[in-house]
Amino acid sequence: MFNWLKVLGSRIHGLLARREIDQDFRQELDAHLEMLTEENIRRGLPPEEARRTARMRLGGSSQLRDTHRELWGLPWLETFFQDIRYGARQLRRNPGFTWVAVITLALGIGANTAIFSLLDAVMLRSLPVRDPSQLVVFTWRARHLPAYTGYSSYSDCFTNISQVNPSGCSFPLPIFDRMQSETKAFSSVTAFAGPASLEVTGNGPPSIAHGEVVSGSFFPTLGVPAAIGRTIDPQDDSPDATPVIVLSHAYWQNAFGGVRSAIGRTVDLNNVPFTIVGVTAPSFARLAPGKSEDFWLPIAMAKRLHPRDRNDIGSWSWVMLGRLKDGVSLGRAQAAANLIFRDEVLHGAKPLSKPQDDPAVALLPAQEGLTGFRWLFSQQLHDLMFAVVLILLIASANVAGLLLARATTRVKEMAVRLAVGAARGRILRQLLTESVMLSAAGGTLGIVLAYWCVDVITELIWHSAGNHFSFAVTPDWRILVFTIAVSFLTGILFGFVPALSSTRLDLNLALKEGASTGGQPRSRRRFRAGSALVIAQVGLSMTVLAGAGLLFRTLRNLRDLNPGFDTRNVLVFGLDPTLAGYKDAQIQNLYRSVRNRIAALPGVLSASYSFPALLTGGLSTTVVQIRRLGREGMPVDIVNTGPGFFHTMRIPLLTGRTFTAVDYGQAAKGDMAAKPSEQPAGSAASKPRAKRSKLAAAPTSVLVNAMFVRKYLRTHNPLGEIISIDRPLEIIGVVADTKYDDLRRSIHPAVYVPVTGGGAYFELRTAGNPAVFIPAVRTAVDHVDSHLPLFDVRSESQNVDALLMQERLVARLGSFFGTLAVVLACVGLYGLLSYEVTRRTREVGLRIALGAQKSDVLKMVTGQGLNLVIIGVAIGIVGALGLTRFLSSLLYGVKPTDPLTFVAVSLILTGAALLACYIPARRATKVDPMVALRYE
Amino acid sequence: MIQTKSEVLQGTLDLMVLKTLAAMGPLHGYGIARRIEQLSEDVLRLNQGTIYASLVRLLQKGWISAAWGASENNRKAKFYSITRAGRKQLNAETENWKRISAVIGRVLQLAERM
Repeated sequence: MFNWLKVLGSRIHGLLARREIDQDFRQELDAHLEMLTEENIRRGLPPEEARRTARMRLGGSSQLRDTHRELWGLPWLETFFQDIRYGARQLRRNPGFTWVAVITLALGIGANTAIFSLLDAVMLRSLPVRDPSQLVVFTWRARHLPAYTGYSSYSDCFTNISQVNPSGCSFPLPIFDRMQSETKAFSSVTAFAGPASLEVTGNGPPSIAHGEVVSGSFFPTLGVPAAIGRTIDPQDDSPDATPVIVLSHAYWQNAFGGVRSAIGRTVDLNNVPFTIVGVTAPSFARLAPGKSEDFWLPIAMAKRLHPRDRNDIGSWSWVMLGRLKDGVSLGRAQAAANLIFRDEVLHGAKPLSKPQDDPAVALLPAQEGLTGFRWLFSQQLHDLMFAVVLILLIASANVAGLLLARATTRVKEMAVRLAVGAARGRILRQLLTESVMLSAAGGTLGIVLAYWCVDVITELIWHSAGNHFSFAVTPDWRILVFTIAVSFLTGILFGFVPALSSTRLDLNLALKEGASTGGQPRSRRRFRAGSALVIAQVGLSMTVLAGAGLLFRTLRNLRDLNPGFDTRNVLVFGLDPTLAGYKDAQIQNLYRSVRNRIAALPGVLSASYSFPALLTGGLSTTVVQIRRLGREGMPVDIVNTGPGFFHTMRIPLLTGRTFTAVDYGQAAKGDMAAKPSEQPAGSAASKPRAKRSKLAAAPTSVLVNAMFVRKYLRTHNPLGEIISIDRPLEIIGVVADTKYDDLRRSIHPAVYVPVTGGGAYFELRTAGNPAVFIPAVRTAVDHVDSHLPLFDVRSESQNVDALLMQERLVARLGSFFGTLAVVLACVGLYGLLSYEVTRRTREVGLRIALGAQKSDVLKMVTGQGLNLVIIGVAIGIVGALGLTRFLSSLLYGVKPTDPLTFVAVSLILTGAALLACYIPARRATKVDPMVALRYE
Repeated sequence: MIQTKSEVLQGTLDLMVLKTLAAMGPLHGYGIARRIEQLSEDVLRLNQGTIYASLVRLLQKGWISAAWGASENNRKAKFYSITRAGRKQLNAETENWKRISAVIGRVLQLAERM
């Protein structure tokens, strides 16, 4: 069975002991020859004759020795090394060619490696836990939404809370308790929720940090150790334990300077003292891809921070992970989990679901189920990957063109080798080895380039994304394997056709003619092959460029979009007094004094506050009734606004009036709808923030936007109309439409209600650059209460930038790759025409001698190039028209077949190509007819 | 370059060498070549050197072993002998060969009668 292994072993041994074996065999052959000679002498031949016949019967001794040597070695490997040595010599002999080829390939391969590294970090990187394959995430689904009282999700996994066929991965704590104590399918189960925004004091100025609330089994289940100190253990997760937290490595570095003495220190979270007991390993920054946490704290302690938190069966906010016991199948574990889940939601004290809704639990491998922010980048990355594959094809075509041109200068070499009997396959292999060497060099340089690129790209994302993007882009084996595979395939791809054509030679013709001219018919065919390559390059660049153009126009459209208010010179910052223990009534006063102080700052034109702030990604929605018109459950966006909001944001009032102090007093009395929650904007899925309350006597005043009137009231006079969100609201004014959470979402009917408490964002309209007001604003807030941290301090234009982060990223990368594609195609075109001009020197000289003008020659060469470009562009347009529709979900305000983009891109490409044609064409006009003719 | 003959021919020569060593005991290259020529009644006049490629292949598979010794005329020569694995292989190959040649023979007879 293992014969081949035995053979390989003895062959390797033979390779090492070559000299001895050779010597041995020579002796053996000598002995054989002697015996044959003796036999011949016995038969009566004279000694001379006997020796001669013996030699003939044995066979040529040097040939026998060659065969013997091959049998005792690895001829394949040896010729491979020979090829490499020969190839290296060839490449060194043509440094210009080699450098151009290697750099071209490095750009192509580097682009692929860079985008693949991002794809790897976002899509493929495994969870940073011990044995991730054993880890499962619990998900639920049902035919109709269970009757929970609250649902939170923190982007850990795919969540769909619609009325029909909802699904998600947040569960109530009582179900977790039963999963932990009743099933034997898991070696352990953990639950967690977060991040929660917490105010940290006792470590420099007060700040906001993000902590994840986890069960005591969290770290043991994941198998994540502490780098320093210890992690949270089950004893920490009981109501009478000492409150402890574990820091993430990055937070420890940033907030505590990475000093060991941080362990054992006490900090206050929302005014509750917590002891730092450890720091996690740097590799564990997150569980779900793209999320990041500053620290972890036990569930039992979360109650002290948010006394209002409820952990009954109705509060679905905990993500659960289980580690399967050895030998337990996913199916068996799922059946066990399902039993508990159904028992709890169908037959609990207060059933949340009906049997016909068929609520069920499904266990997913954690790697697959914990998607995190992956979806945010998935399509863009795949589209970019596609673009860089096209770039690589262009680069390959380019190098293939170079090789074709070089093949002409090597015609004689090939002809000689073929003439002296080299096998065609052997030469083919040698040429392919050379190509693979080129692409290997390109790949090596490409990796360097890729790491630089990845740094730039992640920098780009970090810069605008704040903490949205925290995927660690680091080298791993997948990237290495990918690059090696890509380099190898590329080498074969671009090397094959030129190698094939090099070895298909008319020997007579090639040997007779000079090396530089080759055979005429042959080089014409080679020009045709070169032309096809240039057409392919132009076509592919056209496709890449068209995609880039569309993405670029999308970015422009979104950036130039009028959001309905003035985004220039507005400073926004968040304040959450509830974290510091303020009650709603106190918050009203606090906000009033903060607003007065900052509005009085020199250079501040006006100030206001709202929850959430516009264009920060935060969104509140609820439903209203308009009883008089018999309309119920009409979905609306809702914004809590402070005094002077519309004036500060410069949202025009269309009719009626804005809020007065009386309206705020009235609203506070009713303690009305839309209570802001403690979660930061964007982290909670859209959940109605309406709070049930008793009816107050007088209706609260609200404003609506024009869309509300258009859609829900039509021709009715909006002023004085009574609508209701759990309680009656009177419309006192109508304001112009604005964008709400982001720029892409269309404008929905919106209701503006007075702020009565909770956290809020302050907005300042400033006279100049808003950034310079930040220190003054901090001091002003400190004067009111020095324990209040400011968070999300940004100008409104920075907020808009952050919203356009993905668009900017793909548009920039797209334009970069588009430019790269065009440059490569132009280099290819230039190379081909230069070669063509050299080949036709005599013809051009003759034409000039016969009276052709410079302009004629210029036209002739440029025309030849332009023909190829036009064909390439035409093919590229057809290809792009077929492909750009896959971009449609990324586009805004531009169709995938936008004619303007296509025309503009074609013109750019043709213009660049003309330039590439012009240089060789000019050279052709400089041909001296005398020199060209004398050359013969 | 390796002179690639058909696998069957290579295999046949290897089989004959193996059979010769099994029947005659340790032999040197000349002896094996002579013996094969004699057995085939000089129908098979080989280029005697080709025997060595066969010997290397068999050595590498561990079916024969080699050692220097003295010939009849007290000349230094390399002697080859069959190993246990070689005998096993020979038996298997012989069976195989018989079966195939029987089949081929039958087919050829059949063809003749038609």
